[in-house]
Amino acid sequence: MSTTEPSTYTPDIPSDPITKTTDTVHVELTPHALDSLAATKFVRSPSAGATVLFIGTTRNSFANLPVSSLSYTSYAPLALSTLSQIATTILAKHECEKIWISHKLGECPIGEESIVIAVSSKHRQAAWRAGEEALEETKRRAEIWKLERFEGGEGVWRANRDGVMGVKIEEGKEEGTRGR
Amino acid sequence: MASKKSPSGHFSILYFAAASTFTGKATEHLPAPVKASELFARLEERYAGIKEKVLSSCAVTVNLEYIDVEGDEVADLDRVIEEGDEVAIIPPVSSG
Repeated sequence: MSTTEPSTYTPDIPSDPITKTTDTVHVELTPHALDSLAATKFVRSPSAGATVLFIGTTRNSFANLPVSSLSYTSYAPLALSTLSQIATTILAKHECEKIWISHKLGECPIGEESIVIAVSSKHRQAAWRAGEEALEETKRRAEIWKLERFEGGEGVWRANRDGVMGVKIEEGKEEGTRGR
Repeated sequence: MASKKSPSGHFSILYFAAASTFTGKATEHLPAPVKASELFARLEERYAGIKEKVLSSCAVTVNLEYIDVEGDEVADLDRVIEEGDEVAIIPPVSSG
C-alpha cells in the first residue's frame, strides 16, 4: 500500500478526557494515564459484595517481535457511544451494580495501562463474567485502533479480529502487506 | 474528534488507521450527494488501490450509524450521502 503517512504518524488525539457517566455506568477515552483506583471507587456500592478489576497493559512484543512503542487512535464520539452501549447491556445482562470502562488514547508506553474495566455485583460470579464479557466486547467492537511500532521503525495497524499483523506502514515503500 | 463542518455541496469523510495511512489524510470534504453504494468506487478513483487494500475490510458510518455499502442489504441500497453528512471509514478495530 502507499505510504503517504510517515512512520511517525500522529493521530488526532483529544487533549482532555471524553466521558459519559450515569449513576451506574462510566465510560471514558483519555489521553492521560488510566486511574484504576478511580474505577474501583466509582463501582463501589453498599449492595455489592464483589468488585472485579481488569487492567490491560501494553506488551513489549507481538509474535516474538520487539515492540518499541504503541499508540491508540479513535473515532471518539462513536467509540464512546459503543462503550456506553456495551457497558449498559452487560450491566443488565449480568445484573451487576456498576461498571467502568476506560481506554487510553495517544502514546501508551510499554507496560502501562491501556484499558481499565471495573465491575461490581452482589456476588462475585456475576462480576467475573461481566468483566470478561466487557473486555471481549470492547476489543471486538470499540472504534479504537492500535498502532504498534517495532524496533527498527516499522509501524503496523493491528486488527483484533484476525489476530495477525494487520497493515504495515513503512516509510518510503510502495507495497505493504495485510494479514502477514 | 469534533465533527468537521463541510462546505456547501460537500460531505466530510473521516479516515482512521489504515485508511488514514493510505489516503495520507485524517479527513477531507467530497462532493455531495453521492449514493452510498458508489462511495467505494468514488474513493477508488481518488486513491487507486484503496478498495482492495483497505476498503474491502472496512465498515462505513454515516452520522455515527453503520450502513451497508456493499451486498444486498435492502435498507441501505438506495441510501444517499447528503451535503453536511459525516462519513467515516472504519477499519478492523484493535483496542485493549
